Amino acid sequence: MRTWRWISVLAVLVLVLAACGQQGQSPSESEETDSPPSGSGAPEASEDAGAGEPQEGGTLVFAGAKLATSLDPALTSDGESFRILQQMYEPLVDLAPGTTDELVGVLAESWEGEPADTEYVFQLREGVTFHDGTPLNAEAVKINFDRLQNFSEEFQGDAYYYGALMDGFGPDNLISSVEATDEMTVTFTLREPSPTFLFGITLTPFSIISPAVLEATSADDHAATTLTTDVVQGGTGPFIFEEYVPDDSATLVRNDDYWDTPAYVDQLIIRPIDDPAARLQALQGGSVQGFDLVRPSDYETVESEGFSLVERLSFNGLYLGLTPTARETVGGLDPARDDLAGLYADEPSPLEDLAVRQAVAMAIDREALIEPFYGGRGEVAEIFMPPSSGWHESVLAGVEPVEYDPDGAAQLLEDAGFTADNPATINFWYPTEVTRPYMPDPAGLHQAVSQMLEDAGFVVEPQSAIWDSPGYLFDAQNGYYDMHFLGWTGDYDDPSNWYGVHFGYSQGEPAAQFGCDIDGLEDAITTADGELDETARGEAWAEVAGLIHENVCFVTLVHGDTALAFTEEVQGYEPNPTGSESFRTVWLSGE
Amino acid sequence: MGKFILRRLLLLIPILLGLTVLIFLFIRLLPGDPASAILGERGTPEAIERVRNALGLDRPLIDQYLEYVGGLLRFDLGTSFLTNRDVTADFLQRFPATIELTAAAMIFALGLGIPLGMITAKRRGSWFDTAGTLVSLVGISIPIFFLGLMLKWLFAIQFPILPDSGRIDLIDYGFPRVTNFMTVDALLAGELGGFMDALRHLILPGIALGTIPLAIIMRITRASVIDVMNEDYVRTANAKGLSSSVVDGRHVLRNALLPVVTVIGLQLGLLLGGAILTETIFGWGGVGKWIYDAVVNNDYQVIQSGVLVLALIFVLVNLAVDVSYAFLNPRIRYS
Repeated sequence: MRTWRWISVLAVLVLVLAACGQQGQSPSESEETDSPPSGSGAPEASEDAGAGEPQEGGTLVFAGAKLATSLDPALTSDGESFRILQQMYEPLVDLAPGTTDELVGVLAESWEGEPADTEYVFQLREGVTFHDGTPLNAEAVKINFDRLQNFSEEFQGDAYYYGALMDGFGPDNLISSVEATDEMTVTFTLREPSPTFLFGITLTPFSIISPAVLEATSADDHAATTLTTDVVQGGTGPFIFEEYVPDDSATLVRNDDYWDTPAYVDQLIIRPIDDPAARLQALQGGSVQGFDLVRPSDYETVESEGFSLVERLSFNGLYLGLTPTARETVGGLDPARDDLAGLYADEPSPLEDLAVRQAVAMAIDREALIEPFYGGRGEVAEIFMPPSSGWHESVLAGVEPVEYDPDGAAQLLEDAGFTADNPATINFWYPTEVTRPYMPDPAGLHQAVSQMLEDAGFVVEPQSAIWDSPGYLFDAQNGYYDMHFLGWTGDYDDPSNWYGVHFGYSQGEPAAQFGCDIDGLEDAITTADGELDETARGEAWAEVAGLIHENVCFVTLVHGDTALAFTEEVQGYEPNPTGSESFRTVWLSGE
Repeated sequence: MGKFILRRLLLLIPILLGLTVLIFLFIRLLPGDPASAILGERGTPEAIERVRNALGLDRPLIDQYLEYVGGLLRFDLGTSFLTNRDVTADFLQRFPATIELTAAAMIFALGLGIPLGMITAKRRGSWFDTAGTLVSLVGISIPIFFLGLMLKWLFAIQFPILPDSGRIDLIDYGFPRVTNFMTVDALLAGELGGFMDALRHLILPGIALGTIPLAIIMRITRASVIDVMNEDYVRTANAKGLSSSVVDGRHVLRNALLPVVTVIGLQLGLLLGGAILTETIFGWGGVGKWIYDAVVNNDYQVIQSGVLVLALIFVLVNLAVDVSYAFLNPRIRYS
């Protein structure tokens, strides 16, 4: 009988604990009672506002996949880090809400400077103070940009965006000087005109941090810096950092002294929940009121259960990389990669033949991928950049659209000498243990595309590798795979960030990933990259895209939209295709 | 006993040293490297080279190894390549979460496993025994991922009586994290409600994580109790007219527990080593997910130091198990 007593005690304990927590189960209930609106802040907010008018107060708990990799904005390069840091830190200029190609002043009230110029003059906003009380002035901006430029080698590894956008580090990079011309005026002098400079500095790593905080955290000393790990009040943004527990939560509170309309919510808590199914359950269970990156297969559930689905237009592209040079590259590796060399069996790649590559492009029904894998929310990728890009139309003009034509593809294969007895055999790779906004289900997509290719007469050898370790990315980018899935989410809106990044030549060599060496491509890219007039730049990149698509160096497949889900009371979230989004406009309706 | 413990502790030195070599070399033998993992799709050859230099990965292996071991000797576990955070601080911040979760799982597994094992043994062949065996089989074979999601669906969504994830209700309880043991921190802050809330948050992940150990402990207890019940001294005790509770408690259970304790030790070591799946689906910031992420990202410093510390804990837990034998069975003497 004693054992039964044990079990009963345990069961009672569980029930008591469960009952104890019944109160406060719904976060929205507790917000209504626990958080009276504070005295200052959003002027538009009214206490008895209906669902239609912004209301002040409350706590929003939001789930992303991860927290930040570093708390020093300069050392981050991923969307999850940006999500947290851009609520606290602000750049000089930013993308206008909802756009990818319109700029608005943030810490800079106005600026002078065109893509063809080498001098940019920023007039800073008066009366802005950092969260630690330090006033914003031209000297603070200079200190920040000088710090980035003079990063020691140890920092340079992590400061990806500064290195990539400013052409490396040190005195010889793109920025010749940053001068505080007067108390509130900063002048940037560039070594040469850069059409992407202004868009580049909208990114979170270029945020301006309080000089006092930089000094107090030894932010210039790689061994001693605490800016990467400590909760500091170094930003100017609508939220102030309050607490950070790695892998658990980031807590931010409203900045009542914000220079613009302050945020509506009193507190913003961001939680990391890596698994998308668990994120949805957290919303259903009430422990979060919103989350990002809803699985396309969950769109219907989210909407049918009364949650709101906020769609974010795609700023990405999934493609099929075709690498005719892969077998040769793998054969020349020292030390040898037997795991790969064994697959290729000394046969030349069928992809060396342009007609075969064209057959691949024609064999794929891209439209058919959107419903099952993207929940119907996405577009066929005629070119690499999505329709949300301001350059989409001008670049598309240079590319001949590919029509889905399986019979034509089969005919091309046959004409190229590949028959049932002598098929075109291709090793086709997909990554495991990863999902990306452009690639929600790599294995499923692989299966679907493989089937389409086989229907056209190809023989597909399915291959897979783990994304980061042991190194799908590494192998794909080094051009070891016949054919592979990969994609890109744009950093900023310029064709150089799409076609340039992927097909740019390095010391006369084409990008290893595609081995795409076409007569005139290198010159075309150089010309396009240096073109400063907007119309001419669009045309020049259209020519680059035309060459690449005509030679089928890759097949662009789908631009996948992404979505966030919120409980009914969360209002006012403004998505941006780039993911650069502020929680300042979000409010809780209290319903 | 003292000598035994000392000898076992001294043995740790070669074990750990050997482990450092193994882990250090093994993670570097895997293709791919931290630089490409850090940069992701953005890994141009120049950028990868820059990161490799910054991380010191271009230096000779022996230099890297000596620096690592030198750091260990100074109790410095290094700095994460990916986050630039101090590995020791990161471990200490997450380990309390793992201990709390492990404790919840073990309380569930032991609290149910031993009594159920005992009952099924005593009622061998009954419907209860058959049902218990079936349940334990299901318990061993059910994937944790599925079980966790199902438990949440049932008890947090369909019948919302328990929280679905996390360690505390972050809106209601914002007390400072002092020890990172959520239960302890709540009490330190005088938040009894917070303490109860932290316990409630432990129930579902505790059950998800404790189900496999529960099934194993139940089966081992059952088998062991059946063995002991056939012993002469149990028959004698029964013949003497001792009450069944005295026979069960003093003679059967105590002797039957030896193999159970061994299993408990192994399970405890495994659970402390991290419960990747449970931590992932319950948004639980413990060491399992931390090390898993490090492996995925080739974050060498975190892997080599984290795994080493976990190995140390595993060895120490098993030493504690060995020592506990002597208390359970006074005939066992260590010298």
